[in-house]
Amino acid sequence: MQTLGHTFPKKRTESVSAVPVSRPVKTFATQSYLPEIVKGVGVSMKHFFTNIRDMIRDERPDPVINRFDVGITTIAYPEQRRLYPERFRGVHRLTQRADESVRCVACMCCSTACPAQCIYIEAGEYASGDSRRGYEKYPVKFVIDELRCIFCGYCVEACPCDAIRMDTGMHAVPYDSREQFIYSKDMLLSFTAGDGKQESENTRHEPGDATHPGVDRLHHH
Amino acid sequence: MPTFKLDDREITFNPGETIIAAARTAGQEIPHYCWHPGLSVAANCRMCLVEIEPAPGQRAMMLDVLDWDATLGDYVPRRKPKLQPSCQIVVTEGMVVRSNSSPHVTEARKSVQEFLLLNHPVDCPICDQAGECKLQDYWMEHGQFGKRMHDEPVHKPKAVEFGPTIVYDAERCVMCTRCIRFMDEVAKDPVLEMRERGNLNEIMVAPGRELTGHYTFMVDHVCPVGALTTKDFRFKSRVWFLKTHDSICQGCATGCNTHLDVDPRENSAYRLRPRENMAVNKFWMCDEGMMTYRATSEGRTVDHLVSGQVVTSDTALKEVQARFGGTPPNEIGILLSSQASLEDNWALLELARTHIGTKHVFFTGAANGYADDILIHADKNSNRNGVKLLAPHAKDLHELIQSVAGGVVTRLIVLANDADDAAVAAKLAGRLDTTIYLSSASNPFVSEGRGIVFPICGWAEASGTYINQHGTAQVAKKALEPRGSARPGWEVISKIAAALGFTTGWTKLKEVRGKLPVTMSTTVAE
Repeated sequence: MQTLGHTFPKKRTESVSAVPVSRPVKTFATQSYLPEIVKGVGVSMKHFFTNIRDMIRDERPDPVINRFDVGITTIAYPEQRRLYPERFRGVHRLTQRADESVRCVACMCCSTACPAQCIYIEAGEYASGDSRRGYEKYPVKFVIDELRCIFCGYCVEACPCDAIRMDTGMHAVPYDSREQFIYSKDMLLSFTAGDGKQESENTRHEPGDATHPGVDRLHHH
Repeated sequence: MPTFKLDDREITFNPGETIIAAARTAGQEIPHYCWHPGLSVAANCRMCLVEIEPAPGQRAMMLDVLDWDATLGDYVPRRKPKLQPSCQIVVTEGMVVRSNSSPHVTEARKSVQEFLLLNHPVDCPICDQAGECKLQDYWMEHGQFGKRMHDEPVHKPKAVEFGPTIVYDAERCVMCTRCIRFMDEVAKDPVLEMRERGNLNEIMVAPGRELTGHYTFMVDHVCPVGALTTKDFRFKSRVWFLKTHDSICQGCATGCNTHLDVDPRENSAYRLRPRENMAVNKFWMCDEGMMTYRATSEGRTVDHLVSGQVVTSDTALKEVQARFGGTPPNEIGILLSSQASLEDNWALLELARTHIGTKHVFFTGAANGYADDILIHADKNSNRNGVKLLAPHAKDLHELIQSVAGGVVTRLIVLANDADDAAVAAKLAGRLDTTIYLSSASNPFVSEGRGIVFPICGWAEASGTYINQHGTAQVAKKALEPRGSARPGWEVISKIAAALGFTTGWTKLKEVRGKLPVTMSTTVAE
């Protein structure tokens, strides 16, 4: 006959086995308290001097690589920082062109893609006489509310110009007031990539650049 | 009615109609760039090509072509039917037309699309047309190919200023000539022309001229691609952020049907576009009308004011009680507005006649202005006929001034949306003991500052009925949330009535509209 449902385990009848904990032996030395204090301070001082020695010799064990050898899992942040993965999404930056102008063309693809609606852009037109006039627009205002941002990276994916990147390696910093989380265009432009670069990874031949083919109605190739 | 067959569907048509027009009436779109229902036929874009089956007993027109056979690695001779532009072929009884169902047609569309995109800059991210561009739409429907030409595309002039309102980008242009034909046929000002040939051609303004006049914005709206853009909307927003609402233009008595595009995130309007209504404005609108969208945000009255001080709604209503309480009904006058909706005017008239019991009914409106025989009417009020319908014997401003000067009217309730007669306002304000202004706009009546001001919704913030020059009642739907403490005029009037000790009996738009002496098809005699 087939039974349905669970088969319950039999009730345990044997007694619970446990390892007895050794109690500290109460001697006169432990009871009198002071010698133990001295011992404890001694341990602390040993680590203190070892750390100072390693720091001076620049031999501090790496908290990631050597943590199992030396048992250290803490780091002295912010002087010491863990290695971030190469594609870590930090605070945004706006990339620059060779002439240090903003690469963004204010197409608003990023603010369209943004699920948190934290990007505000006001587009403007290059002045007449500028070689980029007609080919491009530029952001008069480019504001990111880093409090609203959820660091999903969609804006970076959406950008057709590689103008917005999240490769700064910076965290969203805790501030005192909400206003400080509103990052303006100039602030975003001043940030650099982890390696200090301000340009984009992808060079394009923009109208106005020396490398642009420069063909037009009258100058064919 | 005679019928013809389009993709195995029987479609009726009016004799003399073209295939594309008959299909459009039946709700089936045949892809096109250069054809426009309101313009003459150019038949130059070749996007609307269809296959027409030969009449019984006749041979089909066939073309000998060479077709690439990938398996043989060579061209093979093949015959295919000669396709014809559906915008130019007049439908005949029993005609059999194949559009989406013909593989030759779909192939032709794809090829035309590739040809048009050959030298296109594909700068959609910075193009204002992106999102409502025919090149994008048809590429999604009929193209979805990669670019095969890897040469530098032909470069043409960009950001050419055609005039004070329009900017032209020759690289995006598909040379459909809709703008040329519009200026020629509708605006009656043949100022645009095409120069050069082949891939060098471009639209230009007649030498020594600029694209000016009252219908320049329309060239942007007839342009199927992003070649023509208005300076007003240029770079302001992206069309996918905007939500479209049906509205009625408030610029003049023509009452053009419009689309009001608003950004719901920031509760602001971005542009007005013409909405098709063959009985009123066909497909067109004038520049002045399209710029009236700015009135939804600029120069608004959004606070309750008592003698120039911002107060709460309750304080304003208490002030009404204090200043109007005990006044003999016959000393109270009301001023209707030819620019406010029928609902607001009706509510105020109802308050005056039924509840207060005064006979002093006056009306105001903007002065006459420029007119032409295309769309623009001299009467710059959107609802003069509405006021005429409600109060045929309402007296004008001069009689109001006389009544006030003679001491007949001592207190006034003013519905003043855009009354721009500063002199009259000043005269009135100096004489009257007190006035109530219901206004959506900041105008001389409001800025005079001695009365009690109630902010009311403008035409974009509350649904309202307007009766145009031909007596057609049309509804402008609500598109925006009210700004500040503005509320619909009829609602505010109901509150004022309550403050004066009357019960009006309407609390909803439906109740007000149900009592209007007009249905949507009412025609008022001129």
